[in-house]
Amino acid sequence: MRILLVEDDVEAAGYLVKGLTESGHVVEHAADGERGLQLAVGNAFDSMIIDRMLPKRDGLSLIEELRRMGNMTPVLILSALDDVDERVTGLKAGGDDYLTKPYQLSELTARLQALTRRAQTGVQGTVLHVGDLTLDLIRHKVTRSGRSINLQPREFRLLEYLMQHTGQVVTRSMLLENVWDYHFDPQTNVIDVQISRLRSKIDKDFDTPLLHTVRGAGYKLQEMNSPVEMT
Amino acid sequence: MNTLASSTTTSPASLAGDAGTIAVAKEMRVGPRRINRRLLRTSAFRHALIYATLFSALSAATLSFIYWSTRDQIESQVDARLRLETDYLINLYKSGALPELLEAIQRRNQIDTYGRFYYLANNDAATTPGEQEGEALPIRLKSIRSHTTRNMGDVADLPPGSPRAFNPVRVAETQLSNGLKLTIGHEISDEKALLDHTFTLVVGATAMTLLFSLIGGLTIGSSVLRRIDSVNRTASEIMSGDLSQRLSVTERDDEFDEIANKLNQMLNRIEDLIGSTRQVTNNVAHDLRSPLTRLRNRLEVTLLEERDAESYRTVMAEAIGDADSLIHTFNAMLSIARLEAGLDSVEWKDAPIGDLTTEIAELYEAVAEEEEGLEFKADIAANPVFHCNRHLIAQAVTNLLDNAIKYTPRPGQVQLALKGDDQNFQIIVSDNGPGIDVQDRERVLQRFVRLENERNSPGNGLGLNLVNAVARIHNAQLELSDAEPGLKATITFTQKTGRDRVSA
Repeated sequence: MRILLVEDDVEAAGYLVKGLTESGHVVEHAADGERGLQLAVGNAFDSMIIDRMLPKRDGLSLIEELRRMGNMTPVLILSALDDVDERVTGLKAGGDDYLTKPYQLSELTARLQALTRRAQTGVQGTVLHVGDLTLDLIRHKVTRSGRSINLQPREFRLLEYLMQHTGQVVTRSMLLENVWDYHFDPQTNVIDVQISRLRSKIDKDFDTPLLHTVRGAGYKLQEMNSPVEMT
Repeated sequence: MNTLASSTTTSPASLAGDAGTIAVAKEMRVGPRRINRRLLRTSAFRHALIYATLFSALSAATLSFIYWSTRDQIESQVDARLRLETDYLINLYKSGALPELLEAIQRRNQIDTYGRFYYLANNDAATTPGEQEGEALPIRLKSIRSHTTRNMGDVADLPPGSPRAFNPVRVAETQLSNGLKLTIGHEISDEKALLDHTFTLVVGATAMTLLFSLIGGLTIGSSVLRRIDSVNRTASEIMSGDLSQRLSVTERDDEFDEIANKLNQMLNRIEDLIGSTRQVTNNVAHDLRSPLTRLRNRLEVTLLEERDAESYRTVMAEAIGDADSLIHTFNAMLSIARLEAGLDSVEWKDAPIGDLTTEIAELYEAVAEEEEGLEFKADIAANPVFHCNRHLIAQAVTNLLDNAIKYTPRPGQVQLALKGDDQNFQIIVSDNGPGIDVQDRERVLQRFVRLENERNSPGNGLGLNLVNAVARIHNAQLELSDAEPGLKATITFTQKTGRDRVSA
């Protein structure tokens, strides 16, 4: 996908451009807010990564300006400030997600994927499908191959989130934030345990596994015989 | 006082560079005068001066009133006597017996016991009464009588140089119809002396009032100034870096002591804050520098020789691990610093604590089910709604559970409990692990403290410190105790104090 990166730290931007390019993306880099605005207005991007503090035009003001102009490209805000208040301000200004520096590259790409997918699918249907697994949001029912699967409320929300991001890597932080609303990482492997429980319910009695572990990054819900989406 | 004067004046003097020493000497000489001027500027002195003026004016007015009314009284008494004499003599005159009148005057002049004298003058020309002898007298009285105070010398025929010449005399003059004027004088030296004495008293008393008020004002002013100076001196010492100084508090418990106490409390708080900043700096130096050194050494040593791709990969993965643990420590430090400064506002809401702990309990129940030999029990017996930052409460409970799971040997038990009612409730995390010795329980709550037996396990020594900071910001108490065996961590919340913090 085409990504606009607005980041004034040229060295950090260089690594990021390299990492994203190697993952198969096309990246344009702007080193200040004004240049970022020019590029964003003149080109179509799938997503944008915008640093919170930029020379010439502040990151938040850049996002606000773009939103005012009707540009709805998903924006991931990068920031050295990890205050909850800062996060709220960033999202209010029109950002779609907020990532604190320093971050893992896998975390960043996973979040970018999630943002782009959300923007593309738009309104979700009330029944989600991955292979023979279905999740009915209205009736709160999960079935696989016609067999009903009994899930706890929290497991249901976990599966719902994974199914909304089918084929994408979902990190532990993303799950903690979106399913549990925790903005910190417990030292105990609570997420791994939750995933393994969910896996035992949706995969154990079936031939093909759907819930996969992506080493060093997170998890991915995907039907294996469909083409693997690169991140 | 001198020392203070010189210390307050050194800074402008030192700006003068080479001339500094001379300037200081000069300033020292004018020091006392400056103090005097400061004394005159004090509010105590100003008030004393105002009161002094008011009281002096009041006492002067009172005493003057007494003085003037006494004088009037004396004059009217003398005048009454003069009027009696005049009436008597005029009656004699009216009866037409001039010789008798003259005789009466003469007789009276001879007796003259009360410093009174009489004479009859013709057409304003002073004549001895004897010269009027034999003349006929008309009966009618011509003019009204008048009373004046004059000098004895002006009205009486005295030998030159007589000491009585300047004595005051009250004179009653009556114009008789044929150009004759009857004059009766009454010496009022004694009365005048009494009045003069009274006047001296009035002036003296007023002056004394003024003087004592001034002395009082200066005394109060200088005592106020002394106490202010002591505050100033301490403040200067504190500003120059000695934060351990405190203002002296007397046993009088007056308004100065009240201010001093308040300032001392403020200084305690400042010293605490600075102390914690200093501690953070030290901690950063120690706990970030060592892992950074380790990371650097690891990379440096790897570069010393040519190695195969797999070894590079391993070292880089280790380096990323080092970096991650540094980031984790760093984030935790920032969170704690922010908590201690009380900097978060958006996320404070009313939250059901029972639901929150149940949610966490579910996560850890699952962990225990997966892990051999670990037993987890949850006992959520209440669901109080509490105004809090739910992220922080969740993080604190999670930290306690993480610690319990980390330090409890298998087979082991970990328990999460919520007890109490809507007003007061406790979140309790206990385990049956080795626990913490009594003497270490206070210490482990401090930043970066890690006990000997945990040196080799992963961790940054910030977990309990963060829990403590979270408890404090919610006005709750974190207490570590013995679970017999094991560690029991109790956070006690009270609805009232929790709300106080938020409204404050």
